Amino acid sequence: MKSFAGIVVLILGLSSYAATVEEKIYILSDSMTCVDNTTFPYRTFNDFNAFSQNNPILQLNQDDSLSLWVVNFDSIDHNFQIEDYASTFETIPAGDSVLVGYKFVNAGGYIYHDPLNAPTNQYLGLAGMIIVKDHSHDSFYWNIKEHDSTWNDNLLHNVAVDWTTYEPDFFTINGNSNPDINADPLARIVGNVGDTLILYMSNTGNSVHSMHLHGYHATILYSSKSALEVGREKDTFPIHPMQSLVLRIVPDKEGEYPVHDHNLVAVTGNNLYANGMFMTMLISP
Amino acid sequence: MSFQFRHIVLGMLFLASFARAQVTTNLLYSKMDFFAQHELYDGNVIRLMGYTELIGTPIDLPSPVLIYNEGDSVDLGMHNFSQAAHHTIHLHGLDVDQATDGVPHLSFSIPHDSVGHYQFIAPHAGTYLYHCHVVSTLHVQAGMYGLLIVRPPDGGNTTWDGGYAFDSENAWLFSEIDTNWHQNDIINDPYVPGSTVEILDYVPQYFMINGKTETQLSNPETSIEGSVNDAIYMRLANIGNYGNRVIFPASLNAQLIDSDGRPLPSAINTDTVELYPGERYGVLLSPDTEFTGNVDVEYINMNTQLVESTQEAPVTISGFNTINQWEVEQEMIVYPNPTQNDLNVVFNGLKDYNGTLKIMDVNGKTVLVNNENLNENSTLSLNTASLDKGVYFIQYLSSYDNLLKKFVRQ
Ligand SMILES: [Cu+2]
Ligand SMILES: [Cu+2]
Repeated sequence: MKSFAGIVVLILGLSSYAATVEEKIYILSDSMTCVDNTTFPYRTFNDFNAFSQNNPILQLNQDDSLSLWVVNFDSIDHNFQIEDYASTFETIPAGDSVLVGYKFVNAGGYIYHDPLNAPTNQYLGLAGMIIVKDHSHDSFYWNIKEHDSTWNDNLLHNVAVDWTTYEPDFFTINGNSNPDINADPLARIVGNVGDTLILYMSNTGNSVHSMHLHGYHATILYSSKSALEVGREKDTFPIHPMQSLVLRIVPDKEGEYPVHDHNLVAVTGNNLYANGMFMTMLISP
Repeated sequence: MSFQFRHIVLGMLFLASFARAQVTTNLLYSKMDFFAQHELYDGNVIRLMGYTELIGTPIDLPSPVLIYNEGDSVDLGMHNFSQAAHHTIHLHGLDVDQATDGVPHLSFSIPHDSVGHYQFIAPHAGTYLYHCHVVSTLHVQAGMYGLLIVRPPDGGNTTWDGGYAFDSENAWLFSEIDTNWHQNDIINDPYVPGSTVEILDYVPQYFMINGKTETQLSNPETSIEGSVNDAIYMRLANIGNYGNRVIFPASLNAQLIDSDGRPLPSAINTDTVELYPGERYGVLLSPDTEFTGNVDVEYINMNTQLVESTQEAPVTISGFNTINQWEVEQEMIVYPNPTQNDLNVVFNGLKDYNGTLKIMDVNGKTVLVNNENLNENSTLSLNTASLDKGVYFIQYLSSYDNLLKKFVRQ
């Protein structure tokens, strides 16, 4: 009993070791290429000064601090804010940069984004995930987003759109649609029977998505929307715009099972089935 | 063991099944309409795809409710009589093995005039769905969906083993119809499995509860009837492509108790329940006053979050359901009610006298079990002096009988 207590203290000691994680991200303007090669203007934060259509996932451990340079290589001003962390934001003029610091005492999922002209800049792609961990299990990350391919050009040029008529035609996880989501090792849930697998989801779009797991129930570990959701064991997980969710899946059997948005319109891309938010998870014995 | 929906709401739930952990087999036919024959409330007639229990009956919305007891070994057969497309049954939320999961390219699909079998053990008591997973966006909208209900192992009127007891139950499945998705070239298309399929924009015109809408909602299948102090269990499920916000009148004292076939970590008092595509919620209603009104069901566009339709389902709560003379004809009579001490139980023509008679509290917890043997002329007296004051249920459960009465310990 005594040695057991000792181990617990040691683990607590390790996890409370607070590091400072230094990152640098670049705001770039380019375009999104969809599953059927449709393209439209898009903006993202990037790891390097080279455009990617998915925003980097910033990872920390609980109690770590984030020291983050945000470099604005775009031709217009941008703002920077962390959803569910602070209501204040930083302003980054075109061609300028800013150093921001945050300490994360609560494990969970957060969204960094550009709140300027909300929801325009976030809708145009400037929203990524911050993951704060209190475990070392295999983890998977979904930046969930839908797009109305006819809107981006207008929004980019400050032409007003009517959000009450929003009808997206592309649905992506980390910038990909079926069948490409399965090729993204960050997104595709792969593990073995009995593993503890952690799934981080953030909805950086403007629609509600309702993600359904075949084969397994999962437990909600964290919800930025409501603490009442924590502890629920479910197979379908609605996620609202700018919400983050953390799930724990402990597979009890092997299999390859679909995971998809159960708004079945969202498993399409440009009105083609099944080019949307659909992937499979793969559990080995 | 499958039941048409009306059976449920007429209160015949008890009869669903009595034996424990039995082998249950049933067969559904999957079909499509060659001509428009499903009439909507306004006279508009559309084509459907769907599942039926008999080959000759027209397709209805939704498909039949499948009911099992937790632990049952189920063999659910499907005979595809579509004349065209392959179909499957996906057992949504049942966490079956991959081969039984009903996803065409990962398990199997059933071509026209073939039979397939889905074999599984009925999981945790709760509310589930089944639907076709072939071009699911189209086939689900076409009508290939229904509720799947798992009762506790004893098939009794509790939400799950050790869960809440209830007097009556309603199961409401929410969905929408866009009639443009029900045209001939969609419903009768013999899709090549694995091919990419073009989908229209989704602009539904009909917003439904159990396939009913607007004026059709004054119907036992889509209304709540009960008495003051009843425990009414609502099973809510969403198989549409919209969100639903279900708003219960405050005097129903709605409590959210389960979701997706599992109890919530703790019950939540709330009059408003939101559920999104694929989700299910269990809500316990405990009306405390006589009342006539509506439950409002809002249909929320997933993209704009705007409410595009509100459907009103009628609620009638009548006065205290006191137990008196009219019960004489019944199979189990309990009196006096309320009681302070002895509760007398009279049986009237039981089918099986080897069952168990027990008293449960409102949470379904057994608080007293009868040890006396029963026979044809049994009249027994149970001493309730040890029970706290409150509402209780007395249940007689055998292989052939399932009788439930409520009484008050004063
Ligand atoms: Cu599915
Ligand atoms: Cu489903």
